[in-house]
Amino acid sequence: MRPGRLVLGVVLFIVGVLMLAPLVWLIVQSLMPEGDAFSLPPSWIPKPFSLANFKGIDGLIPFWQMALNSVIVAVVSTVGSMAVSVLAAYGFSRLPFRGRDRLFALMLAALMVPGQMTVIPVFILMRNLHMIDTLQALWLPALINVFAIFFFRQYFNTIPRELDEAARIDGASHGWILFRMILPLSGPALAAMSILSFEGSWNNYFGPLIFLSSHNKMTLPIGLVTLQAGQGGSSTVVFAAITAVVVPVLVVFLIFQRAFVASIASAGIRG
Amino acid sequence: MTAAPSLVSSGSRANTGGPGHRSWVGYAFVSPAVLLFVVFILGPFVAAIILSFYSWDMLTPSKFHGIGNFTKMFSDPTLYKALSNTFIFAIASVVTHLVGGLLLAVGVNRMTNKALSYFVRTSLFFPFVISWAAVALLWKYVLDPTFGIVTYYLGQIGINSPNWFIDPHWALTAIIGIDWWHTVGFTFIIMLAGLQTVPTELIEAARSDGCNGWQVFWNVTIPLMSPTIFFAGIITFIGAFQIFDPVQIITPNGGPNNSTLTIVMYLYQQGFQAFQVGYASAVSLLVFAIMALVTALQFWLGRKWVHSA
Repeated sequence: MRPGRLVLGVVLFIVGVLMLAPLVWLIVQSLMPEGDAFSLPPSWIPKPFSLANFKGIDGLIPFWQMALNSVIVAVVSTVGSMAVSVLAAYGFSRLPFRGRDRLFALMLAALMVPGQMTVIPVFILMRNLHMIDTLQALWLPALINVFAIFFFRQYFNTIPRELDEAARIDGASHGWILFRMILPLSGPALAAMSILSFEGSWNNYFGPLIFLSSHNKMTLPIGLVTLQAGQGGSSTVVFAAITAVVVPVLVVFLIFQRAFVASIASAGIRG
Repeated sequence: MTAAPSLVSSGSRANTGGPGHRSWVGYAFVSPAVLLFVVFILGPFVAAIILSFYSWDMLTPSKFHGIGNFTKMFSDPTLYKALSNTFIFAIASVVTHLVGGLLLAVGVNRMTNKALSYFVRTSLFFPFVISWAAVALLWKYVLDPTFGIVTYYLGQIGINSPNWFIDPHWALTAIIGIDWWHTVGFTFIIMLAGLQTVPTELIEAARSDGCNGWQVFWNVTIPLMSPTIFFAGIITFIGAFQIFDPVQIITPNGGPNNSTLTIVMYLYQQGFQAFQVGYASAVSLLVFAIMALVTALQFWLGRKWVHSA
C-alpha cells in the first residue's frame, strides 16, 4: 500500500467517526441513568446502564399512538400516490388524448411551485372541509406526486411499445397491460419512488406543524418537538425518545441501503 | 427535476392512436391525478396569487387591498433580513456541500479497502435518513454551552466555543454546520454516482502523459463532472433556499436579532402566527418568483458552462 492511500484511508475513517459521533453520543446517553448521563468528559459507553429513560417516554407523549399515526400517514400516502401516479404515467406515456402533452407540461411546470406557496390555501380548504387536526389533512394532499408521474412516464417510455401493441392485438385491456406487463418490468422505478415517498412522509415536519394540534393525532417528528418544548421531561428522556425514533430508521436503512441509495441517486431528490 | 421541452413530447415513436381510438380511456387513466393536481396544486397556486391582493386574518371578512401587500414588502426590514439570511445560508450551503461532497466522493472512489469504504459511505449517509426534527433536537444538545460534546472537545484543543444559538454572529453559522452534517451524504452520493461515469481510460491517459493527481483532478475529473456538480449545486440551492425545519425547531422566534430568520420561516410566522394571510401570500409569491428565476438561470447557465460529452 502506497503511503498516499494510507493517509487517505485514515482521513476518511476519521471523517466517518466524526459523522457518527453525535449519534453514538445520543444513544449512549439515552441508555444511562439521569444522574450519570451528560457528564464531562462525555461518556461513550453506557455505564451504568439503564432502560428507565425509555419507560419514561410514554408518560410524556403518547409515543405508540404517534408511531401508529406516522405509519398510517406514510403508508396511505405512499400506496395512494403510487397508484395515482402509475395510472397517470400510463395515460401520459401510452394513451392518446386531446391536450395530453400540454396537460403534462402544465403539471411539470408546477414542480417549480414550492409547497410553502400552496400551503395557506390548502390550509383554508382543509379548514372548510373540517379536516384540521386529522390525519387526512396530511395524506390527502400527498396523493398527488408530480415528480413520480414524471419519473414513471420516463421509465414507461423506455419499455418497448411493441410489447403492449402485441398484447392489444391479442385483446388485452389497458389495465391488464399496465398491471401485468408494464409494472412487473418497472420494479426499480417503483422501489425508488416508494422509498422516497415513504421517507418524505415519515420525516415530514412542516405539514404536521400546520395541520395537527392534539397530541394523539401527531406524528413522531412533531411529537418529538412538543416533547422538548413543554412537558418538563428530563433531557435523558428526550434523548430516549429521539433514540426510539432514530434507531429503527437507521436499522431499516442498513437493511435496504442499496435500494435506498440507488433511489436517491436516480431521482436526485433532497429531503 | 429538469423540465426541458424534449421531456414533454412523446419522442420519436409518438403514439398513433388513429381516429378510431377512444380518447376517454386516456382521460380516465389521468383523471385521479388531474383532479388532485387541480385541488391541491393548481387551485391553491391561483388562490395564493388572488389572496396576495387581499387583506385577511382568516376570521373577519377579507378586504381587497390592491398592491398594498407588495408595497409593504418593499419597506419591510424584517423581510430584507429574512431574505439576506436565506441567501447567505443558501450560498454557504451550496459551497460547503459541493466542496465537501466532491472531495469525499473522490476520496471514497479511490479507496481499495471494501470494508472501510462501506463504513465511510454508511456513516456519511446515516444523518440524511434521519428526520430534521430528530437532528435539530439532537444538535441543540451537541452544541450546548455546558455539556455539549462540540463545546467540550473544542475546549480540549484550546478553542473557546461561542454560545452558538444565543450569539447573533454564530447562530446562522451553527445552522449551516448542522445542515452540512445532515445533507452532505446526499451530495456525496450524487457526486459518487457522477464520478463513476468518468471513464478511467481518460484518467489513465492523463497520468501516463505525466499529469500529477492534482492536475488530473482539476483538468480531467472536474470538467467531466461538471454536469453532476451543476445539478447538485442547483438541487442544493433550491433545498437550502426553502430551509425551515431546523431553524424553526432550534430558534423558534428567528434567533437573536432575527439572525436565523429565513424566508419560509417568515412566511410561516406571517401566515400562521400573525394571521396576515394576504401578506404571507405575497411573500410566498416572492419565493416562487425566486425559484422560477433560479430554474431559468439553471437552463441558461447550464447551456453555457456545462461540459457535455
